[in-house]
Amino acid sequence: MHIDSYERNWMIFSIVMLILFATAVSVAAFGMGIQVPAPEQRVDPKTVATDPNSPWSNPGLREVEPGKYDAYILARAVPSWEYLPKEMTVPAGSRVSFYVTSADVQHGFKIQDTNANFQVVPGQVSKLTITFDKPGTYNFICTEYCGSGHGVMYGSIIVTP
Amino acid sequence: MKQYQLSTSEKKFVGSHILVAVLALAVGSLFGPLQAFEHAGWDFYPYLRPFIKSYYQGLTVHGVLNALVWTTFFIMGFLTFNVIFALKRPLKNPTLNKVGFWLMVVGVVAAAIPILANEATVLFTFYPPLKANWAFYVGLTLVVVGSWVEGWGLFMTYAGWRKENPNERSPFVAFASVLTALLWQICTLGVAVEILTMLLPWSLGLLEGVDPQLARTYFWFTGHPLVYFWLLPAYISWYAMLPKQAGNGKMFSDSLARLSFWLFLVLSTPLGFHHQYVDPGVPPVWKFIHSMLTFSVFFPSMMTAFTVVASLEHAGRKNGGKGALAWIGKLNWSDPSVAAQLLAGILFFFGGIGGLANASYNVNLVLHNTAFIPGHFHLTVATAVTLSFMGISYWLVPYLTGRKLWQPKWAVIQTWTWFVGMIIFSNAMHIIGLLGAPRRVPLGLAPYVPAEWNSRLFQVGVGGAILFLSGAIYLLVMLKTALNKEMVKEEVEVPMAESMQDPALSPDWLDRWAPWIYGSIALIVVVYGPQLIEQIANIALTSPGFRVW
Amino acid sequence: MAKKDKGDEEFRPTGTIAVLTIFVITLIAIWATIYMILVGRGGTL
Repeated sequence: MHIDSYERNWMIFSIVMLILFATAVSVAAFGMGIQVPAPEQRVDPKTVATDPNSPWSNPGLREVEPGKYDAYILARAVPSWEYLPKEMTVPAGSRVSFYVTSADVQHGFKIQDTNANFQVVPGQVSKLTITFDKPGTYNFICTEYCGSGHGVMYGSIIVTP
Repeated sequence: MKQYQLSTSEKKFVGSHILVAVLALAVGSLFGPLQAFEHAGWDFYPYLRPFIKSYYQGLTVHGVLNALVWTTFFIMGFLTFNVIFALKRPLKNPTLNKVGFWLMVVGVVAAAIPILANEATVLFTFYPPLKANWAFYVGLTLVVVGSWVEGWGLFMTYAGWRKENPNERSPFVAFASVLTALLWQICTLGVAVEILTMLLPWSLGLLEGVDPQLARTYFWFTGHPLVYFWLLPAYISWYAMLPKQAGNGKMFSDSLARLSFWLFLVLSTPLGFHHQYVDPGVPPVWKFIHSMLTFSVFFPSMMTAFTVVASLEHAGRKNGGKGALAWIGKLNWSDPSVAAQLLAGILFFFGGIGGLANASYNVNLVLHNTAFIPGHFHLTVATAVTLSFMGISYWLVPYLTGRKLWQPKWAVIQTWTWFVGMIIFSNAMHIIGLLGAPRRVPLGLAPYVPAEWNSRLFQVGVGGAILFLSGAIYLLVMLKTALNKEMVKEEVEVPMAESMQDPALSPDWLDRWAPWIYGSIALIVVVYGPQLIEQIANIALTSPGFRVW
Repeated sequence: MAKKDKGDEEFRPTGTIAVLTIFVITLIAIWATIYMILVGRGGTL
């Protein structure tokens, strides 16, 4: 098969470029700890908010050790579109592991100015850990259509100095 | 000039696809500007009640009609034309293709009724546990099955040609069209299984609950190759027709064009997890594997970029173009079909860049479900594909109807206004997406919008307004052309670029179907099998339906 | 069917290389910008 030399060079360049992008992505993932969510837990969405054994029946921050927190957040559309809790406060430097699930339909959960970005799927738990070095207010917003109130569904994490 | 003659009934058949497609685009496109204006703070939705109850109902109409109906109908019409014309033979079983077409039409009507009744405000992705009326799912199924049936008609026609021409190289346009129809059949299996095993029984009350994570996996099995179903017909025109129209250019490399299509067949489906990077239920190792495969599928698009641009350069230089870039000006910009596709190609460069970023595994953490995503897909499906299809219709509709294109100057204006409007709209959406703005939200009313998004939201509105104008011009040109009393003097010449290299010299293995099909299926089994088995084995039908709109 | 015109043999796609060079530079610049946003926003483990 005859291939024009310019075209052949372009094809080789393309492959090299794609390999470089793949390498950069791998460095960020495996070297810098910037990873995507992994399967964490299965839950029953019908009882996740009411079962006393379910952490999401009492959502909120739990301090695991000084400076390290677990945040159990419940997303829901019924009876109204909101996250429970809608507000959390931690001191700067805190490491917070977010465990997010839904009581009803799919939602999103994106903490602005961080790499926390979830597709919240009922029946599943989304988990990532974020370290909040800089003080300020970080909104988390719903990024997946979940009905009429999707556009007003948000909360905030307040990081104190 | 003697080209193969389609019969009047064949032209009518192809034309009926284009008609349904353009009608869908007309209605679907009404909502685009409304959404854009809403983002800019000009909310017209209250005036639309009682017909349209919410931003989201409009968005569902917009997505379903534009991304599913306009596309599928135009594509099946165009592929049908290509197969008949390039193989120089009628359809093997025209009745079969007609049955397929009517199944699709019935499907559109069946889905449209609940959508317009606000019983299926679930958007084009219909993610459960959002639960639509059962007729919505039946309608979508019929559209897909109808397209399969039309595809079978195309395969049979091709097989008939192959039987009579065992040693001849398939004409590129026919080969690529049949491949596209085949790719579609393979990829739609995912959404078919999702609807038939979960959503339809659930909506009929036969299942108590669904497994939303598994539903996503089924959906995105289809959802990525869906974009290649949209893109490849535009590529067919860019490779094999546009160079001729742009200045009598030739297809630069027949072999590499065919190879790129084979690579699309093999690589389009086994990478659906790149739409699920931030899903909770899919392990990172499989997400990573799919991301590597997604980088690979970028490769045939890079090949396409070279071959298409080189073919256009050939045309430009034939017309006296000199210098590194000045030859671009020597292309036939006054032909609206050429202008549309050149402008579509330019914006597609940016669409491809955004797509690569979306696909880059953890980079997706920055981008998932932000406004960057609609910014991206308006460059790809709404420009590379849609503007190219508009461009194709500028010669195809005169060809099919025998009527002159009404006011070609207006058609050219239409292509440039689409281009400018889309740049303004899409650029703004990409930027606010990077700043954290979500998609699928009426941002004009959202309480968390910071001041720095406001200027871009205004630009979204401006872009939407220009696009609205452009869409209106397109529909006017189409309507006036279809009703034009001025007939063409002789049949419109179907633009077919010659190949620079004799297609007979391209290797055999580029014209043999079985190995590539087996390879495609094998790769899908390897990269999807384990997760499908795991997710199905651990299925938990625990989500009841919700009507939250 | 391909008729070999005189000019075809001599045609070298230099303009194509020019166009694609601009494309690739743009691609790398945009991709790198988004990658740097990712890196700047920190780890998730």
